[in-house]
Amino acid sequence: MKRKNIGKMTRRRDLLAGMAGSLVMAAMPLVSAQAQEGLGTSDNPTEIRIIANEAFANTWQTLLVPEFNKAFPNVRVVFDGVPYTELLAKMMLDSTSPDPEYDVLLVDDPWVPQLAEIGALMDLKGDKVAALTEEGYDWDDFNAAPLAAGEWNGVQYAVPVRSNMLLRFYNRTLYKEAGLPEPTPAQTWNEFFADAGKLVRDSSGDGKDDRWAIDTYFVRESLTPTIWQSILNANGGSLLDDAGAPAFANDTGVASLEIHKRLLDYAPPGALGHGFSESLQAFRQGLVANMFNWGSVYKSTAVDPKSTTLTVDEVGIQVLPVGSAQAGTHRGIWIAGISSKTKKLEASWAFLQWLTSKQGESVNASLVGSFPARKSTLNGEPAEPWLGPVYETLQQAYEVAAKGKMWRIRSPKSDAAQQILADEVARGLAGQVSAKEALDTAATKIEKALK
Amino acid sequence: MRAREEGKGMTIDNAPVTGDASTRRLGRIGDLFVRWSFLVPSIVLLVALLAYPIFYTIDISFSHFDIASFGADEWVGFENYREVMGDYRFWDSLKVTLIYLVVALPLQVVLGFGIAFLINAEWRGRGMIRALFIIPMVVAPVVAGGMWRMILDPLWGVMNYWLGFLGIGPLDWFGDPNLAMAAVIIIDTWRWTPFIVLIATAALLALPKDVFEAARIDGANWWSTLWSVAIPLLMPVIAATFVIRWLGAVKMFDIVLAATYGGPGKATNVVNLFIYEEAFRSLRFAESAAMAVIVLILTMVLTGLFLRGSRKLEDMF
Repeated sequence: MKRKNIGKMTRRRDLLAGMAGSLVMAAMPLVSAQAQEGLGTSDNPTEIRIIANEAFANTWQTLLVPEFNKAFPNVRVVFDGVPYTELLAKMMLDSTSPDPEYDVLLVDDPWVPQLAEIGALMDLKGDKVAALTEEGYDWDDFNAAPLAAGEWNGVQYAVPVRSNMLLRFYNRTLYKEAGLPEPTPAQTWNEFFADAGKLVRDSSGDGKDDRWAIDTYFVRESLTPTIWQSILNANGGSLLDDAGAPAFANDTGVASLEIHKRLLDYAPPGALGHGFSESLQAFRQGLVANMFNWGSVYKSTAVDPKSTTLTVDEVGIQVLPVGSAQAGTHRGIWIAGISSKTKKLEASWAFLQWLTSKQGESVNASLVGSFPARKSTLNGEPAEPWLGPVYETLQQAYEVAAKGKMWRIRSPKSDAAQQILADEVARGLAGQVSAKEALDTAATKIEKALK
Repeated sequence: MRAREEGKGMTIDNAPVTGDASTRRLGRIGDLFVRWSFLVPSIVLLVALLAYPIFYTIDISFSHFDIASFGADEWVGFENYREVMGDYRFWDSLKVTLIYLVVALPLQVVLGFGIAFLINAEWRGRGMIRALFIIPMVVAPVVAGGMWRMILDPLWGVMNYWLGFLGIGPLDWFGDPNLAMAAVIIIDTWRWTPFIVLIATAALLALPKDVFEAARIDGANWWSTLWSVAIPLLMPVIAATFVIRWLGAVKMFDIVLAATYGGPGKATNVVNLFIYEEAFRSLRFAESAAMAVIVLILTMVLTGLFLRGSRKLEDMF
């Protein structure tokens, strides 16, 4: 009982309906012009809707949109925040409807292949968009690693709007109190663990440890494997081989997972249940000397007194320790693409062009703390003094990531693969199975899932 | 002959009877119309809201799910079921769910009826305490999970601080697989025991007082009264409460999502969380639908058995 024919018929019907619609539109140029709406007028502004992660959608609406409206006063931008865990499914559901609600999609690093596969995104270097692109918009100015997050099968579907890298934050005060020198980006994992033992200590003298060496992702969730993977990549390993088959279930993979697990020995009690928020909380309260987390939290961790007990002088930032091959990091870029079915292409692209321009990146960094992807922004004068060392680290991280291919699996099935990794890495970290068994199981399942 | 006469009679004498019959028929049609006019909205609602999603889920479970059209595509027979049956994670999640149910349900029923029996005596402020019992039930499960996560957190939570006074701990509530399961059961018990207390209190108030009076006259002590009088009389209510609570508990999902994320490892990864993750994180909707159908069948079978058991208990007591 094949239903593909029905699908074809529906598609044919949709096509006919679309053609009929086009004829009507062609016959009524005025109506057509209104439907396209362009960049709007003061009497008739154009509204574009953006679906984004609720973690930052509201801030962007409040802080970034007014800045954009200084340049484009007649384009109304409306952000809809959706919880991260439901975001991809909701985007796909919306994109597959005949008349999608959203004009712009803010997507996470590994999602572009999935959205591209269903035809949800527009080719940003294609003729339609190129005709609307300003002359000064320099594609070559983007760093390769963040720009690659928006590319799939040679087509640029999205541009980086919130470049994030997995970085090492360290507390200078705690290193000093432990009598240790400040770590450098050249520090190896062995050197890290040699220091870690000294960083776990009892600072109050009540006989109980109250300062720890590290906190990061250990909880059972999809971002936890990124820590293991950054160690794996730093040790010269990779998730997939050139043929696209799992290549991590080997000695390098096992050793890397053992390192991730060993971090628990120097982490606060209960760290096995810690992820993004808990590790951030522990670091901001000055309880842990190191944190592996996303670079974008720097502002709220070191600058904003409303959210942290630490200051810029206390917080150092660098790439993760060096493995047998190189330093470690992991790419986590938020990229924005335009819905292939949008009726407001000009306004949508105007917003994205502004946001990813040098000026937009600068506003985004200083007001919201988002990191830029452009080389010129990273090498230029930062909008705030604290951004200087952060940009330096970020530039290094981009280069390290590009060299070691430090990103999640790029495939239309990447989320299924990531969930498998989350399950198995969690079992390995909890000691429910050995690192080898966890990785063997993950490799078998991922091979099947990617087929 | 008689019939004909009667027939004749009918045509002549009983002319108004024909009118009555048609009136009755009209009445019956009207009655039917009224009945159906009340029933149809409910049927439409039930079909749209209950039956359609179930049949759609079953449909997806036997199909390849096309992400591009976000719908069922090609009929694949039992392939999704075979895939699910061969996935150790599905069986593990069923096992975790079973452990949770086997511990949590009896605990909640025993605690609920026990508390109800203890607070059944007349005392000032009893009404207020009963009202307070409702609070945990109206707290959203995600909020309850998040709140308890803070309470039980080994680093910041107050639970370990209090237990420290008793010389217990510190306990790694979310790092130890057994304690993580205990945490989920504690949160669920905190939420749902009051519900059982309320049912049990109502049931206790409805028990015939003369039986208890007779027991007292016969010299029965507190324990004998509980064991030989109250429990047998309450047995049908206990069984019914168990079934109601079972139907709620088998859907366990949100507390786990908020409190433990199914960890550590996979220690609290209940089947509904696993289905949710496979559907909305891995986008494996067809396999998830197959799992949902299997869980639905298992739930129906077990519910049927429990209902049979509860009827037997009613007959026995």
